[in-house]
Amino acid sequence: MRAPAPAYAADLNGATIAAARDALGTALVDARDAVGEVALFVTRDGLIDAMIALRDTPGLEYQQLMEIAGVDFPDRPERFEVVYCLLSLTRNHRIHVHVAASEETPVPSVTGIWPVAGWLEREVYDMYGVLFAGNRDLRRILTDYGFRGHPQRKDFPLSGFVELRYSEEAKRVVYEPVQLAQDFRTFDFMSPWEGAEYVLPGDEKGALPEAKGAPTQLSADQIQKADAAQTAKATATTPKTTDSTAQTGVGKAEPDAKPKPADPDVLKGKGEGK
Amino acid sequence: MTDTLIDDPALDKLLHRTDAAHPDAGDVAIQNYTINFGPQHPAAHGVLRLVMELDGEIIERVDPHVGLLHRGTEKLIEYKTYAQALPYFDRLDYCSPLGMEHSFVLAVEKLLDLEVPARAQYLRTFFAELTRISNHMLNLGSHVMDVGAMTPNLWLFEIREDCLNFFERASGARMHSNYFRVGGVHQDVPLKLLTDIGDWLDTRLPRLFEDAISLVADNRIFKQRNVDIAVVSRDDAIKWGFSGPMIRGSGIPWDLRKSQPYDAYAKMDFEVPVGTRGDCYDRFMVRVEEVRQSARIMRQCLNEMPDGPIASLDRKVVPPKRGEMKSSMEALIHHFKLYTEGYHVPAGEVYVATESPKGEFGVYLVADGSNKPYRCKIRPTAFSHLQAMDMMCKGHMLADTTAILGAIDVVFGECDR
Amino acid sequence: MSMSSNLHSGPVELRHDPSGQAIVPPDQGFFDGLNGELTDKGFLVTSTEELFQWARTGSLWWMTFGLACCAVEMIHVNMPRYDLERFGAAPRASPRQSDVMIVAGTLCNKMAPALRKVYDQMSEPKYVISMGSCANGGGYYHYSYSVVRGCDRIVPVDIYVPGCPPTAEALLYGIMQLQRKIRRSGSIER
Repeated sequence: MRAPAPAYAADLNGATIAAARDALGTALVDARDAVGEVALFVTRDGLIDAMIALRDTPGLEYQQLMEIAGVDFPDRPERFEVVYCLLSLTRNHRIHVHVAASEETPVPSVTGIWPVAGWLEREVYDMYGVLFAGNRDLRRILTDYGFRGHPQRKDFPLSGFVELRYSEEAKRVVYEPVQLAQDFRTFDFMSPWEGAEYVLPGDEKGALPEAKGAPTQLSADQIQKADAAQTAKATATTPKTTDSTAQTGVGKAEPDAKPKPADPDVLKGKGEGK
Repeated sequence: MTDTLIDDPALDKLLHRTDAAHPDAGDVAIQNYTINFGPQHPAAHGVLRLVMELDGEIIERVDPHVGLLHRGTEKLIEYKTYAQALPYFDRLDYCSPLGMEHSFVLAVEKLLDLEVPARAQYLRTFFAELTRISNHMLNLGSHVMDVGAMTPNLWLFEIREDCLNFFERASGARMHSNYFRVGGVHQDVPLKLLTDIGDWLDTRLPRLFEDAISLVADNRIFKQRNVDIAVVSRDDAIKWGFSGPMIRGSGIPWDLRKSQPYDAYAKMDFEVPVGTRGDCYDRFMVRVEEVRQSARIMRQCLNEMPDGPIASLDRKVVPPKRGEMKSSMEALIHHFKLYTEGYHVPAGEVYVATESPKGEFGVYLVADGSNKPYRCKIRPTAFSHLQAMDMMCKGHMLADTTAILGAIDVVFGECDR
Repeated sequence: MSMSSNLHSGPVELRHDPSGQAIVPPDQGFFDGLNGELTDKGFLVTSTEELFQWARTGSLWWMTFGLACCAVEMIHVNMPRYDLERFGAAPRASPRQSDVMIVAGTLCNKMAPALRKVYDQMSEPKYVISMGSCANGGGYYHYSYSVVRGCDRIVPVDIYVPGCPPTAEALLYGIMQLQRKIRRSGSIER
């Protein structure tokens, strides 16, 4: 470790994993020591017992729960991972404990072990929609009153679905669908020769058997067939732009949204609005 | 009261004439009532809303509503490169911006396994401690103001103003410095700045600070408002995930700078103040002593700071200086790549926590090998402390709420993210 | 009406010399005349408009609406170094007593109804200063799902102070600009 990161007793990592294997038994699915940190993967059902063991077993002694983080991996069958960051004050050591969960499968709450978990679980619920069985106060915590959706999920758009405005007619603050004057600009910096997934304009030509008119063994109708197959494939790919709503992270406009009223100050261009 | 016997039950009730048969005659059943504190309240230190259930003036239950400053920082960070995400950390805890940056740069450096030159480590330690002083000035001042004293706050803000000037001279910005960078710091400081801070540490800081604190530390009214208010035992402090001055106020000598030293802290010689009773007064005094210890660390940094580069020379992470770009084609290419695409961080996950002025500020960073963080979970200090408000406030008077809040040192930029 | 036409009790605008550089100090004769008028008659005559403007600009009590980072600079401008109170601008914690609201910081969706409520509770004439990029237009958090993209979507704004955060001096200048605006467009109903 060359980086000047907080130097806790990282030499205990190996001993910790061994001790955790003994104490946790079958509840422990996997234990890793990566980037100098110990990560334990625990089954959902065995979480409570594992946490009590981690807190109380001599040689583990993780007295403090510092943080519960949710992570979303949409490709996995159980898409969420709940990560408990534990700290041992006596052994000066940290670990994180990972549990997988999906939208439907609740994770047992650890509020009985550490009362601090109450709000931390509320936050994970708010941000990801992971349910915690046994948390008696599982309300939203950070987002707006009456908020819909779980903003930290990867499929939740960055700019959300609603925005606020004071309505002079209603004399109160009203919610409206998001309308951005300028879309959020996001660029991917994949270079074309390092595995970009889209087809650059012009690249489809290289997929044809030969340039037209070049001497070839093929007959005319074979070339035509190959042409037709290739062009159909090429047009199916989406061009590389950042203008689609899926990429910009803007919420879809309401289906019944009216077109914007014409701005009287803007002069119409030639041929427009005729 | 003349006891001419008038047989009137209503009068009996008023005069509390009771007899053995009706011992509760004259008792009036009152209901607890609920009051709303905030979200706009000068003692709320920002946008906190407390829904309190009171029995007379005694607090029965507190339900803090947070999230009124929830800005979606964690989501925004996922859409920005590592370099673009760094300024968000300034804006989390806006009273101690560099303390927040510190955790993030250390986390990224840990994933990159990047070596940081000694001078950069010293500079980061130095400015992190200056941040601690400026943060404590704000907190101590507003704490005494919340319990009724005005003057110390005015004097302590004078120190804070000096600190902000130093930040401005080092980084160009008074508050949101964006000075710590992955691999080091943004630019070197002029020698005159270091000597000026050295003079300030010896003259202005002790004079103003000790003067202001002498007004309150032994003040009878201040003690009445703080001693034995919100006593938290050692066990409770551990269970509720306390950190920083809150856990030290409860008598646990736990300081990440000492136990898990990062940057140049391992070479620093300083003491960790610890409270004895675990009340608001102890937390206040722990912070007071921390200011003195911070000044001590800063003096050591000034004495020992070596010369050398102020950022890693790994050009795949740290952009070259502008002067270099004028003559070197390679520097120009690096600069362009780093400011458009940024650097790619190898896949992995780390939880890096530093001792920010308010407690343990952690960053749980999941990298997927691209130039943007896959997930950046921020562990705020105030979140767990604020959660314990209910536990700490129970049985206290309504007026103690401000003292308890002041001693928590809550800032909503980081609490709500 | 014994008052000469150049005598008025309104704010004295400092004049510049013809080159536009140096500030010409106000004519001593002006003060002497005003003083003589007061000691002689015991009262001054002025227009109501000027009187109102003088009252409004001279005691801009501001609502302490600290939302985020900018609130710290807002406190700094009020502290001894910048000492905003010399302009008659004192912090008030109650909307009923304040004349100007400084929206200092990011306005989030959850907070917006409360901000509007506080604004509605302020008594007329009321002014709003939007402080910092976030309040001006969302700033660094513009694309977030939980941030109001500019506090002018919620309340009408008189002065925008740019910066992230604006320095204490910038806010001070913003308040002076507001005084200027009040003087320029002052009338009884604002």
